[in-house]
Amino acid sequence: MLSRRMFSIGAATLGFLSRQADAQTSFRLGLTPVFLDNDSETIDRLRTSLSYAAGMPVTLVQKRTYQEVTGLLLEGGVDAAWLCGYPFLQHRDELSLVAVPLWQGAPTYRSYLITSAEDPASGLTDLRGGAHAFSDPNSNSGYLVTASDLARNNLRPEQFFSRIIFTYGHRNVVRAVAGGLVRSGSVDGYVWEALTKVEPELTDRTRVVSRSEPLGFPPFCARTDRIGEPDLAVFQAALLQMAESERGRDALTLLQLDGMIRGEVALFDGILTRMQDLAGHH
Amino acid sequence: MGRFLYLPLSLRVPLLAAVLMILVGVIASHQVLSTLDRVQDNRLRELARLHIEGLSLALGPSVLRKDIWEVYDTLDRASSTGSSRRMLLTVVADETGKVLAATDPRRVPIDTSIDALAEEAQRLDAITFARNSSHVRVRAPLVYQGRDVGKIVTDLDVRDMSAERRRAELLLIIGNTLLTAAMALVGYLAVRRMLRPVTQLARRMDATIGQPSPIPAVQVPRGDSEVARLFQTYNAMAEAIEARSEAERQLAERERFVSLGQLSSSLAHEINNPLGGLINATDTIRRFADRPDVVRQSAELLERGLKHLRDVTHATLEQNRIDQDGPDMSLDDLADLRLLIGPEITRHEQRLDWRIELDPKNLSGHDAGMLRQVLLNLLLNASNAAKHGGKVGLHAYLAGDALRFEIFDNGSGMPAPALRRLQGSEPILPGEGVGLRMVRELVGMLAGTITHLAPPDGGTRIIISLPCNPPTPASQSC
Repeated sequence: MLSRRMFSIGAATLGFLSRQADAQTSFRLGLTPVFLDNDSETIDRLRTSLSYAAGMPVTLVQKRTYQEVTGLLLEGGVDAAWLCGYPFLQHRDELSLVAVPLWQGAPTYRSYLITSAEDPASGLTDLRGGAHAFSDPNSNSGYLVTASDLARNNLRPEQFFSRIIFTYGHRNVVRAVAGGLVRSGSVDGYVWEALTKVEPELTDRTRVVSRSEPLGFPPFCARTDRIGEPDLAVFQAALLQMAESERGRDALTLLQLDGMIRGEVALFDGILTRMQDLAGHH
Repeated sequence: MGRFLYLPLSLRVPLLAAVLMILVGVIASHQVLSTLDRVQDNRLRELARLHIEGLSLALGPSVLRKDIWEVYDTLDRASSTGSSRRMLLTVVADETGKVLAATDPRRVPIDTSIDALAEEAQRLDAITFARNSSHVRVRAPLVYQGRDVGKIVTDLDVRDMSAERRRAELLLIIGNTLLTAAMALVGYLAVRRMLRPVTQLARRMDATIGQPSPIPAVQVPRGDSEVARLFQTYNAMAEAIEARSEAERQLAERERFVSLGQLSSSLAHEINNPLGGLINATDTIRRFADRPDVVRQSAELLERGLKHLRDVTHATLEQNRIDQDGPDMSLDDLADLRLLIGPEITRHEQRLDWRIELDPKNLSGHDAGMLRQVLLNLLLNASNAAKHGGKVGLHAYLAGDALRFEIFDNGSGMPAPALRRLQGSEPILPGEGVGLRMVRELVGMLAGTITHLAPPDGGTRIIISLPCNPPTPASQSC
């Protein structure tokens, strides 16, 4: 018993020391503020799971905005990043797909338009004149979908809504709507659904008014010029094989995902169309 | 208040002490409560200041950028932490008063004006709250890096402080009421105890009308307090009155002999006059012993003479009785007086106008000794004033509910010093007679009054009025 405990302490110490030694060489993954952005324990468990699955220490780097994370990725501040389809397409020339998560069996998700639970609105047009919360100006589900829907009707969000605010987090959009700060919000459908399991008391105060068509799930991306690097290859392999290891499954369960696939750029054509619609009408 | 003045001093002063104690209790309670209010207001002010300063620090950058979400997020997090339970509603506006965010955005939506709320709010440095209020609304500028970047209005929950205030108030009222009641009781009892000798003194004075008696030494409070001195003074006074009564009694005694002395020569004459006739009668009996008719005639003469002598000596003896509380006045006493004054009248060859229009029951209840002395003195005085061959009279009658004795003469009137002695209370000068002063004293004791009349045709008329129901235990109607 004693020796076992001694071993555990020793192993933990060795592990700690090795992580310290590898701090310079650990794999740095940039994260956009996904639904778990406020939960340091979840972040830590994700980091641990990813580290085990990848077989190397993984450092998670969080930034407030999509722009910051994308910028960090492009300048080499992180080795890879879990981005959104929208910034990926914005930087299509420089970025490549590493993996696309599978959610509910498919590499797609939807954008939700939500209001408070008691709001009678049945569609976007009913929400005219109210305040609206977006997640991030570079988010597909948290901005592009609604903005492009309006653009198709020759409307701009700042005209259509009395006021728009950016909360820089999908969970924050849900909070803003649930708390009554704004009448409606554009939120990542995956995040909203995940929150119904983790924080039902929050999502119960909101109601989904409309759902977008399925769009490419936020992908893991890396700079195209670094795709051939061994660390990235190891990390990619770890992601693609996550469902096969216990640690990997832990991480997937944590994220309420089913697995990862390599994915094709064509998966994001829907987002591309919306980008074009938005650009075309501006 | 009027009724209060009728309460005895022994109750009034302790009650006053109790009332003062209650007054002190009420004032003390009020002071403590207002101090508590002040302390709580200060505490709330400090709390509100810290609260607002903390919020200003956290919200400053977001308000500066007008970042609605960040402001809301900060407020939302602040209100959900345990330390900010006191915060019921907080509204943050930019420097123009446009609401950026509130903890309850449904109640205060963004982009509305904060002014309506701010108008109802108190300034941070002047916060105060009523004891039944559940919250206090405070307004303050949002200062960040030394400049006003916005406005804050916040509702602070003060239910606990209100409850504390009510509880303290209740406890204080109960405590102070009990304490005040106890103090009032102690004050009442203490002052009552202090006043007990005064009450005792008053009771003793009440009990001994006209005849105060000294208080036994054991009952006199020890020490040299005012009360002890009061007792000593009272005792000295009582002793002086006792001494004066004794002197008066002796004076009255002397006066009785004085008036008898004045009568003695005429009385002796009165006794002596029939003696010659009586001796003649015994001589006649001896000489005409064999003549029964002469003996019977002489014996009758002897009996009449001896009866007269017996009456004179009886009247003299009656006048000399010295026992107080003697028998009531009767018509016989008036007859005695006539007998006593008779020889003096005869000696001065005066006319006596003697009219008694009374029933025996009219006289009952009046002390015979005192009244006889009064009337005899006045009659002697009248006889002296009427001079030789003058006129002296006594008229006794009933006037309404008063018994009146008018003594009159046709002399040259009563001289001023004599009148002063009869009616005034000034000390008698050396050498002056005490007879008239005695009359005054005795009439006072008989609860009567003296009226002096000087008729225009000369002479003097003194009217003694006595109540039909004299204040003696044996009072009867006229």
